[in-house]
Amino acid sequence: MVSIPPVLLIAFPLFFAFLAPLINMVSKKAVKPYTLFVLLLNTLFASIIFLNVSSGGVIYEQLSGFYPPIGILLSVGYLGAILALLINLLSPIVYISYFGDAKNSVKFSMLYMLVTASSTGIVITGDLFNMFVFFEITAVGSYGLVASMRTKKAFEGAFKYIVLGSVGSAFILLGIATIYGYLKTLNFYDIALRISSMPPTARLMAFIFLIIGIGVEAEIFPLNGWVPDAYEGSSHRVASFLSLGPSKAGIYAIARLLFTLIPIMGGFELALLLGLLTLIIGELAALKQKEIKRMLAYSSIGQMGLILVAFSMDSRMAFVAAIFLMISHAMAKSLLFLGTRNYTVGSLKNPFVSVPIFIGVLSIIGMPPFPGFWGKWYLMVDMASQGFWTIILLVILAAIVEAVYYARFLFKGTGTEKSEGISKSEMTAIVILALLLVLVGLFPQYIYAPAVNAASSFLGGGP
Amino acid sequence: MVNYIDLTIQILVAIGVTALGFAIGMLFNGIARKITARIQNRVGPPIYQGYIDVLKLFTKKTNISHGWIFDLAALFSVAGIALAFLFLPVAGVSLLSGEGDLFLILYLLAIPALGFALGAGASGNPNAAVGIMRALMTMLAYELPLVMVIIAMMVYYDTTSLAVIVQKQANMHWAIFIPVFFIGALVADMALQGMLMEKPFDIPIAPHEIATGPMVEFGGKHLGALMLYKMMGIVVETTLFVDLFLGGGVILSVSQFGWLAYVVNFIVWFLLILFVFFIALLINAVFPRFRIEQALKFYWKYDALVGLLILIWIFVGVTP
Amino acid sequence: MITLTIAIFLMGVIVVGLLNKYPKTAGIIAFFVSLIPFFALLSWSSVMNITLPSYLQFLNFETSWQYNLGPGTLILQITPLGWFFLLLLSSLFPMVILFSISYFRSNAGGFYAAMLLTMLGSFGILLAQDMLTFYIFWEIMSWSILALVIRGGDRKAIVSYLSFGALSAMLILFGFMLLYFKTGTFVFAEMHLDASNLVLAAITLIVSGFAVKGALMPMHVWAPHVYSKSEEPFVAFLSGGLSKLGYFGIMLFMYGVVGFSLLSSWGTFRGVPLFGYSLAVVGAFTAFAGTVLAVMQDDLRKLLAYSSIGQLGYIAIGLGIGTPLALTGALFQALNHTFFKAVLFLAAGAVYYRTGKYKISELGGLGYKMPFTFLASLFAIFALAAIPITSGFAAKWLLYEAAIEKKFLFVTPIMLIAGVGAFLYVYKILYGVFLGEPRYNVKEAPLSQLVPMWILVLPLIIFLIFPGWFVDLTAPILQGYEMTAIPHTPYTINTSLAKYNTLAVIFAFIGTLIFAFILYLSKPQEKVDHMDNYLAGEPPELYDYISMHASSKYYEPFEEVFYPYFKRGAERMWEIILAAGEVFGSGARKIYTGIVGDYSIYILLFFLIMVGWWLLW
Repeated sequence: MVSIPPVLLIAFPLFFAFLAPLINMVSKKAVKPYTLFVLLLNTLFASIIFLNVSSGGVIYEQLSGFYPPIGILLSVGYLGAILALLINLLSPIVYISYFGDAKNSVKFSMLYMLVTASSTGIVITGDLFNMFVFFEITAVGSYGLVASMRTKKAFEGAFKYIVLGSVGSAFILLGIATIYGYLKTLNFYDIALRISSMPPTARLMAFIFLIIGIGVEAEIFPLNGWVPDAYEGSSHRVASFLSLGPSKAGIYAIARLLFTLIPIMGGFELALLLGLLTLIIGELAALKQKEIKRMLAYSSIGQMGLILVAFSMDSRMAFVAAIFLMISHAMAKSLLFLGTRNYTVGSLKNPFVSVPIFIGVLSIIGMPPFPGFWGKWYLMVDMASQGFWTIILLVILAAIVEAVYYARFLFKGTGTEKSEGISKSEMTAIVILALLLVLVGLFPQYIYAPAVNAASSFLGGGP
Repeated sequence: MVNYIDLTIQILVAIGVTALGFAIGMLFNGIARKITARIQNRVGPPIYQGYIDVLKLFTKKTNISHGWIFDLAALFSVAGIALAFLFLPVAGVSLLSGEGDLFLILYLLAIPALGFALGAGASGNPNAAVGIMRALMTMLAYELPLVMVIIAMMVYYDTTSLAVIVQKQANMHWAIFIPVFFIGALVADMALQGMLMEKPFDIPIAPHEIATGPMVEFGGKHLGALMLYKMMGIVVETTLFVDLFLGGGVILSVSQFGWLAYVVNFIVWFLLILFVFFIALLINAVFPRFRIEQALKFYWKYDALVGLLILIWIFVGVTP
Repeated sequence: MITLTIAIFLMGVIVVGLLNKYPKTAGIIAFFVSLIPFFALLSWSSVMNITLPSYLQFLNFETSWQYNLGPGTLILQITPLGWFFLLLLSSLFPMVILFSISYFRSNAGGFYAAMLLTMLGSFGILLAQDMLTFYIFWEIMSWSILALVIRGGDRKAIVSYLSFGALSAMLILFGFMLLYFKTGTFVFAEMHLDASNLVLAAITLIVSGFAVKGALMPMHVWAPHVYSKSEEPFVAFLSGGLSKLGYFGIMLFMYGVVGFSLLSSWGTFRGVPLFGYSLAVVGAFTAFAGTVLAVMQDDLRKLLAYSSIGQLGYIAIGLGIGTPLALTGALFQALNHTFFKAVLFLAAGAVYYRTGKYKISELGGLGYKMPFTFLASLFAIFALAAIPITSGFAAKWLLYEAAIEKKFLFVTPIMLIAGVGAFLYVYKILYGVFLGEPRYNVKEAPLSQLVPMWILVLPLIIFLIFPGWFVDLTAPILQGYEMTAIPHTPYTINTSLAKYNTLAVIFAFIGTLIFAFILYLSKPQEKVDHMDNYLAGEPPELYDYISMHASSKYYEPFEEVFYPYFKRGAERMWEIILAAGEVFGSGARKIYTGIVGDYSIYILLFFLIMVGWWLLW
């Protein structure tokens, strides 16, 4: 099989993103096909890397000629490969929806490629500082994307995102500084090996700095104040993209922090607490929400909380559950955000819109046979075998609340009027996303095997 | 192998008893009118007026039908009430009552009622519809205390078969002599008043309000059929009461006295149902009519409360 | 073959869904697909010790089937209980589809697709041998119903169905998880349960989850909304077929998984397990309250919905008492309800198809215009009201006998009075829709709607004459629970308390009918126009027919008496619970003030808390 250096996943779109203005100068019409082509090519790379990883194990790659721990390291682990594939598979699909838009902004396409590349970077990097850099690129790109609507709300959302994002970045930097001050290394595995030599107080301090910093991006309560406004302000495509790329990268980073970087006493309990708080507050806030995009944003918060709960169980089964939940959330929430454009009475009259939206909702609330079900099922099975009844009860209550507000959501789409304003390209995108949901749901075994590998590797402290 | 001779005899007996039932029903109609007239200080029609009326209606020349659903009423009401009668033990003679039980009888009683209601509804007269509504509500009202008592008896005697209940009351062990079922008999007698549609529960027919309600569009042979149904209904309902509380009128055992027992039992049964009907008539003659919700409240508040006490009594007294 | 069946169903869903513009073609394809479960049923008849002639078994289905999903395995296997409920669903389903072919004039692809999915889900539920399989198919069935409810487009229906569906799913899931924690396995056959409180909690949760689908009070709230605001053929299948799955689940878990002896070990009351006793009491209350509410409805579909709730309550009573007699009665009631309620809903659909009306007060006089629809629904109504000339009576009779046998002194009167109440609302249907003044000049329903109705009436007549055949069907089911079938011959049923001989009833009824007929034929009659009655041929100009037809507010005195007790129903209770949830919701929403300074303060506060934790540590 062909083997591909993982760095291509990042370098390729980064490079071509900066070529986009040139293409724009040549032909304005060519920008969109060009971007899509780049993204699709990246999808191809990601799938080859995924196959390589699942057959041959973790891929390490040193950059810039230095050997680790000093040099920059890319390490594509099982989880990284899955998430890289997920992000790079979904981002062209969401981009397809952009084709119907009359506006032709080259900046948008650039930022889009940029954020795709940097989100992928977060999940495949093996180096803390690298991760920070990618976080910064993701954040800056996302600010731009959110603001790309050029409405008052968009600027408001972007502004909040910038403020909180910068605070988060500062915290990440503080954490990195703390670690580097003691260990003189930023390589994940090197840190993990020698973390015990760090004084416990310093270790905890670093942990606190990092979890606050990453938590802002991962939408963890109480650090997620920007989420509703940013999602509401951004266009539906951007919201869709944000929920598949940056947020997944953020939650990945949290998992990395919990399992590999700084395994501290009580870390998982803290994560559980935060996860449950995020879950419950997100779902309850969505219950009273009338604005559809905000409601979906709160629902996203809830889902991120659930994923964090799954990670905090610190067991193989729950880890697998978390992977399924991430897949489900990435696909279904992107689908729902795309489908909610002009979401008014009657938009469900068109079966090519209503059926995918229906499937998306089903996956989010955890109905079989969709990925969300497998996630919740494994999570519950795991918690049941450990006897965590209170947590199960809370998760169940959250699921019921979820069902109630999604029911209202679905009702809003029924009615007598015919839907208007949803373009063919958007329809294509959501139909593809729905098909993916169905396929993953019907054949979970093909995700399950790599997911179990990822879990074993991750729980063992590896990549 | 079916014994055809026995079967033929049984069928003949059944036909005979049914005919007797209809005859007694018509007689009761006459008696009722006579007694009511005397209480109200009138002369009243002769005692055989019921026969004359039915004969007249069935020989009328003009018979008006409102369609085939309307005709169903006549068929169903006569057939249904005769069917219910066949499943009752009469004076200890159980025709078909071994083949079904008390629940079956309660539901068989619904066949003529529903058939009648079908015809009345099909006539299209609003008075008929209102009458049926009242009849059904009265039924709902009186059934609650009635079934309470009946179920108490079923549990007490540990059977649901009316024939067995009658058997267990043989040798004058009548239920009415047991204190709790004496009260039960009073409760059931109130229910019987509603079943017979006598005052104060003659709400469904209420001639002054809704012009005899369900029957308003009927005439000729259709009305004749309905009269037969109503007259036979009196016999069936009083017999049910007698079977439940008065041992079915059995005072002599057939195995001991042979054919004499049949004759005596039949006479006693006749006197008993006449007595029960007489009580109903007396109440009828002196009371005015309830309104429908008053009837419902009477049965469900007072009658059913006593019924509930009986149930509690049995609940405490009978160990499973 | 099962793989093939599932594949055909899934392909059918796609094909039929894409044929949205061609409703007739889609309907015919769906009809052929819908016959497959029935063929499967025929080929599995040996499970019930029935040998069918070989020309009826031309498809050979394997009796057990497995599909590896990686982490879990789907296990399907035919059992007697599954066979029995599959009999109900697979014979009802093609008839409903057949009815729909002429019912839908446009835009029906989605309907058929979702219907096929509900049947696929039910098929899997009835054959499932482990909790994972059961849950997956259960939820497929559940959300495909949701898709059909969304087609109806009523807010309350969608919200209440999805909310209660999720509640039910989560109760069941929680119960499953408890059982898994206890036994470490998902497979029914490998579970070894004991009399611990954990198992009791699990079975309580599971049964209350199924009670939602079975519309037991107070979990019934979704049912009237869904039944009255969805398309009629679907409602016929929902009420007739799918609601039985709830009782299938209750029976499977109460008697198949847990078992009668284990149920008794959590305490008995007068010889009945306390668990079952409470289920029976809930069932009796449901039967009564459902009936009272049905009497008060003016919308034909709402009336039928509450009547469904009431009639399903009887099944719960039977399952609660749990003696062979009671279980036979419960299953019999399930069978009857499947057919008569389907006929009634289909008849309501046919009436709507012709008149476009559902309000009873706006209908009337259709009996002469649509005689075959009328007769079919008359039979169904006889079955519903348990008149002993259909099989409806035998079921109720078995349940009454079972209750008296166990000396249920307070439950039995309620059951009986609910039975009497049923007369009230069935007469409302009869009079309001079919009798009275003819107000519409319409044709009889099309043949493709009449045929399914009449086919569905057939079982009611067959099992009237031969209730013993039905008891034969229950024998293998009861054998699985270490019980024996009740004593019977083809046309008699014996209990410890009494005997019921259907032949005697039928022949006596025929005899008395002949007698009445002779009387009736004694004189010729003339048929007059409807106007020639009390109106004397001259309908007053002043009034229109509405005032002649007394079906508006038909049971007004009844409503006056009962309404005060029923106005604060279960719906109100759930609304209060939801409102309480929303108070929390608005509290949670207040956290997101939208002011960036506040959010920064949150981060700072969080940081301080963490630092405090660090200092303590």
